[in-house]
Amino acid sequence: MIESIRFWAIIVLIAFGLFFTFVSAMGVLRLPDVYARAHTASQADTLGAGLALAAVALALGWQHATVYTVLLLFFVFITNPTAAHAIARSAAESGIDPWTKESEEEGETK
Amino acid sequence: MAAERVLVPLSDTVTVRQTVGYAVQSGLERADELEVHLVVALPHEADLIEGQQETEAAKELLSKAANWVREDAGSGPITVETTLLGTDEYLFGPRDFASAFDDYAREHDIELVVLDPEYQPGATAQMLQSIERELDAVGLAYDEAPVERPARHERLVGDGTERFDRLFALFWISYGFYLILGDPTYWFDLVTGAAVAGIVSVSLAHITFTFPLDRIQSPIRTLRFGLYVPYLIWEIVKANLAISIVILRPSLPIDPTMTRLNARVRGGLPLLALANSITLTPGTLVVRGDDQRLIVHTLIPSAREDLFDGSLERAVRFVFHGREAAAIASPRERGDTEILGGDEQ
Repeated sequence: MIESIRFWAIIVLIAFGLFFTFVSAMGVLRLPDVYARAHTASQADTLGAGLALAAVALALGWQHATVYTVLLLFFVFITNPTAAHAIARSAAESGIDPWTKESEEEGETK
Repeated sequence: MAAERVLVPLSDTVTVRQTVGYAVQSGLERADELEVHLVVALPHEADLIEGQQETEAAKELLSKAANWVREDAGSGPITVETTLLGTDEYLFGPRDFASAFDDYAREHDIELVVLDPEYQPGATAQMLQSIERELDAVGLAYDEAPVERPARHERLVGDGTERFDRLFALFWISYGFYLILGDPTYWFDLVTGAAVAGIVSVSLAHITFTFPLDRIQSPIRTLRFGLYVPYLIWEIVKANLAISIVILRPSLPIDPTMTRLNARVRGGLPLLALANSITLTPGTLVVRGDDQRLIVHTLIPSAREDLFDGSLERAVRFVFHGREAAAIASPRERGDTEILGGDEQ
């Protein structure tokens, strides 16, 4: 009973992890400019990687390596927004204007 | 010939004495008469208790520095002015400091700032610009004093309990981390871990904690941070779902906007925690931090509303300042939000 709950929990976690990674990839392809892409590239990925790591931790069970995956999760959560911020800030400092609804209506596609 | 006027911002650093000396010497070389304006800018609200202590320390520093100037000038034609800045406003970080110096310089017709290379402009965090760049931005000329400084040793005398607190905290943090990676039941790891943690804490304690620890507050903050993490994860999941729906819809109903949010947090670490949380939550992305004014790019209207409701800001205030501090009006009600047009930065 417990084993089957664990099995299905792992499956669900991996499925959601895959889903969010898929959405993230799609966002990078569909969104218009570097700022909007930075949102999805880093963020949906945080949850995608996070859920996959949670699934790994659950699959490994109560052993020492599980602690490493939890730590890994912790560092992903700290470093990911830092990277996103660095990308967005360097974009802002090199003078890239953010895409807005109005700029599309004017026909300025980037 | 008109008197040369220089502005010297002071803070409690090892090189402040040399900076004052340099300001006097170089000023007297350039002109016959020198007017030295010594200022201390206070990063705290002066009506708080810890603010009052800082004000006292600042006044003491000013009178000491005024004596140094007279000592260095000898019989030279020199006048000294001392001022406290930031007593009636809240200066947060490099941007606020630079503009306060600029205002002061305009008022007193000063053209040059002599800057201590070790100067601490209030809250510093890696995401904020340095004071030099901010002074460039306001167009105030500065001259960095060429000082000889010793390597950053911690002060061995005085502040004994503070030093011990830092050593103690870092020792157990690094020991704990070592044992998590190693095996806490194996005697070899216990011994080597203690040795490593000892070396780490002695050599790095004054770098890791740039602020004084509080024996009661710091552990409580750590506990409250533990409460904050599940809340943050819940927010992340909620926002992720909202963004996923938007991305998967064929019409792609996004409305990207740049917004500005004046965060009411004190100090570099709470600001960093807030900015990091905002960026972690999908739909909002911190593009720049100009002191406590965060420039945030928002992808969809609902994420923007959440940001302006300030739930994350409240949570961060809860972590660092306690429950009473969390009961604050939302940024929207305070009027601390602004939607920027496309022509801004």
